[in-house]
Amino acid sequence: MRYYVQRVALAILLLLAVSMLTFGALNVLGDPLFNILGPVAGDVNNPESVEMINAAKREFNLDRSLPVRYGLWVSDFVQGDFGVTFSSTGQPPVSGVISERLPRTISLVVLAQLFAIIVSIPWALITASRAGKVSDRISTVNAFFLVAMPNFAIAVILKFVFSIKLGWMPLTYTADDPLSSRLFQMILPALTIGLPVAAVYQRLLRTDLITTLQQDFILLARTKGLSKWRILFVHALRPSLFSFITVVGLNTGALIGGSIVSETVFRIPGIGSTLVESVLRNDFPVVLAIVMIVASSFVIINLLVDFAYTLIDPRVRR
Amino acid sequence: MSTNPNPATPTNSDETIVKKKLGVGFWLCVAWLGLMAFIALFTPLLPLKSPTQNFLDTANGRPPYSPSWKHWFGTDKDARDVFARTLHGARISLAVGFAAISAGFLVGGTVGLISGYFKGWIDRVSSFVFIVLLSFPSLVLAILLTSLIERSLLTISLVLGLLSIAPVGRLARAATLQFADREFVLAARQIGATNRRIIIKEILPNVAIPMSSLALLGMAVAVVAEGGLSFLGLSVEKGITWGGLIQLGSESSKTLEEAPWIAFFPILMLFLTVLSLNFAGDRVRNYFDVKETTL
Repeated sequence: MRYYVQRVALAILLLLAVSMLTFGALNVLGDPLFNILGPVAGDVNNPESVEMINAAKREFNLDRSLPVRYGLWVSDFVQGDFGVTFSSTGQPPVSGVISERLPRTISLVVLAQLFAIIVSIPWALITASRAGKVSDRISTVNAFFLVAMPNFAIAVILKFVFSIKLGWMPLTYTADDPLSSRLFQMILPALTIGLPVAAVYQRLLRTDLITTLQQDFILLARTKGLSKWRILFVHALRPSLFSFITVVGLNTGALIGGSIVSETVFRIPGIGSTLVESVLRNDFPVVLAIVMIVASSFVIINLLVDFAYTLIDPRVRR
Repeated sequence: MSTNPNPATPTNSDETIVKKKLGVGFWLCVAWLGLMAFIALFTPLLPLKSPTQNFLDTANGRPPYSPSWKHWFGTDKDARDVFARTLHGARISLAVGFAAISAGFLVGGTVGLISGYFKGWIDRVSSFVFIVLLSFPSLVLAILLTSLIERSLLTISLVLGLLSIAPVGRLARAATLQFADREFVLAARQIGATNRRIIIKEILPNVAIPMSSLALLGMAVAVVAEGGLSFLGLSVEKGITWGGLIQLGSESSKTLEEAPWIAFFPILMLFLTVLSLNFAGDRVRNYFDVKETTL
């Protein structure tokens, strides 16, 4: 019990630190007033602009001190109010943008993760059972190549081969299409993220499987005359999954990073591409909200992975 | 490749030999990296075409022109020489990668050494800072910071350096912990060596060995991160980068279809460079038999 309390407390501390860092960075390094009003913010001689500046300062609490503003922002944030976007009308509110686009990013990340898991497990089983042979070596070289390929390069290559040359896949994502075609449109973006991740998982699981395959109970299963695949799937796989599960959980950060690139290349209006667009447009409330959502979910997922790990292996609890 | 796949099959003898030697592949990678470093350092002195000049050739129709004897890697839509631009791109990519990992090692390595050696509250504070830094997916933190600053070679290097502080620092700390209470350290303390002397003369040489492979792997990560940022239009504002070239060549599907060489030659260079860094780092790690580390 004490272990769980400590981990939750640490996660809360982390979330606070992350939010202070993000909020502080945007408000100290950036100039919030300029971001709200644009060039008008510097025009202090014109009474009309001065009035606008004062109104904006009141509206956005910029006349308060930094800690007070942080407190107000946090209390709004946890209630789901992320402020307004920097447009002439302030419409749509940031929470509207997020709730429209977050599901797309989540489905993309989940698809990529599923793909990586489905590919990497049989891949690791086959290569581990023939460790050191030619096919294993070829696969290791391939995995090395995949890991060395930056995901934006993978995106460009996939787009070139499958959308442009072969014409099998659509070039971009259309938000209004029915679910089935949207899923189809997400295959290439998910592959972009999932391919290098699958290679990472395969390398890890293969190493663990090789260790397991040298244990006595595998030898026993073999002498009993069980088939090779039965031994691999039923006997060897489960005890080899510990570090695999941890890394699958902890890899969410890399997946989110990948989704930023993938969404941008394949024009999926998710929160990753929105983050890049908002940065380029200096739309800070959106940037702040997205960074906070991503970092918080990252912290929470890590916490859940830790808990899942204690369920699998009680020794971790100490 | 990273670990000996099957110790139970001793017949597979070249696995064990590979473990002792760095291997031909390693030296090929070093040669490629040396070539890239040479190009990056001496770009202005090399007999290259200008990367910004328009080589309009009306006899050949409208640009982009495909690769030819005159333009080895072809030209882009503005008839600029892709070969010259790709080689120029090596400058920023490698400079940022190198500067970032150096900065990461300088700060992260120092903090890791100190916190691993002194332990106590210093260790607890620095460990917490490391965890906070690692709570952001790295690309998200990089985008957040680059959005707030003027994007120059120096600031981008610093941002990516900041990202490498936590992984480098954690490894340095872990490695230091292994040596901090060893006999030779106690002996040095007994004869009255100062803490500073012990850290620099006794611990640093031991910690430097496992860290050397991390330097190569970390530089690969930094080069990829810089490529990602410039691909998204968020890296160094002036100048040519590989990520920027790839973005230019793949921005519209039409360009990618008609002139794939614009994007693919920079991709090839970037890929070979990252592969070399990863492979060389992996070899060094095996050579010194360092445990698997994640960056």
